[in-house]
Amino acid sequence: MSGLAPLLRKELLEQWRTMRLPIVAAVFLLVGLASPLLARFTPEILKAVGGDQFSIVLPTPTAADAWAQLAKNLGQFGALVAVLLAMGSVATEKERGTAALILTKPAGRDAFLLAKMVAIATTLGVSTAIAGAGAWLYTLVLFEPLPVAGFVAAMLLQWLALVAYAAITFLGSTLTRSALAAAGLGVAAFIVLGILSIVPTIGRYLPTGLGDPAQALALGLPGVDVLGPVVASIALVAVLFGVAALAFRRQEL
Amino acid sequence: MTDLKPEQIIALLVPIIVIQLGLMIAALVDLERSERRVRGGSKLVWALVIVFVNIVGPILYFVAGREEA
Repeated sequence: MSGLAPLLRKELLEQWRTMRLPIVAAVFLLVGLASPLLARFTPEILKAVGGDQFSIVLPTPTAADAWAQLAKNLGQFGALVAVLLAMGSVATEKERGTAALILTKPAGRDAFLLAKMVAIATTLGVSTAIAGAGAWLYTLVLFEPLPVAGFVAAMLLQWLALVAYAAITFLGSTLTRSALAAAGLGVAAFIVLGILSIVPTIGRYLPTGLGDPAQALALGLPGVDVLGPVVASIALVAVLFGVAALAFRRQEL
Repeated sequence: MTDLKPEQIIALLVPIIVIQLGLMIAALVDLERSERRVRGGSKLVWALVIVFVNIVGPILYFVAGREEA
């Protein structure tokens, strides 16, 4: 894997200079702060909007609701951002001819791809960490403190799920020359995985299946089976990247 | 669950509002640069996206809307 270090530095610098990292981090922080607030005030908002028409008494929200809100928002919204980040990463460079230009330097194709994937995962990771910190803090203020270690582990699982969506889109971006086609693949995968997640036996080994152990970890519930889903998702990312690398080796740029 | 006074709720909302406005302004400032070229060619369309598509608007612009010079 030749030339990985300079390529990685270039990609990370690009995440910063193109404003991707700061913007995604800011948006994730927004989601992190808003989720516990929404969880806390949903009953009151509904009461204010619906007046007396709501005869159902909503249960008093808890820290568990704050986590559920965060997981839902980061899951959907974060997946969209992951797709957006990955869609053009390889396709646009092929289309513009910059990929061919970079690869005339002593840089391997595998290293070229790996640097890009790691840069995307880094942006998602930093942003997820910031969202988690904000959400933990607001949950503390609005409800009660969640266990720190469990919460960190839960955010790691959230991140892994986002990296999986990015990896699917990244494969699409490598296979085609069109960022839009790659985005289409990413969104389609998001929908298909969402449907497959209902199937009990395979559902828990999909990236969508990381949600249950993440919730248990965040709330400090005992007896969480994390290993299976985590290994499965890491394997999925590795396989997706491997296929992308194999295809990219044979492509004419 | 602790009860919150209205001013405490506002204090919790301020960072959210600041970030959202900051994102919007950062995107609009970047869009207004004369050398900036955007996907589709119309800056007006992107300005509308940034202002009216909540939260996602600025991110769409920064990630997908700009064309590198």
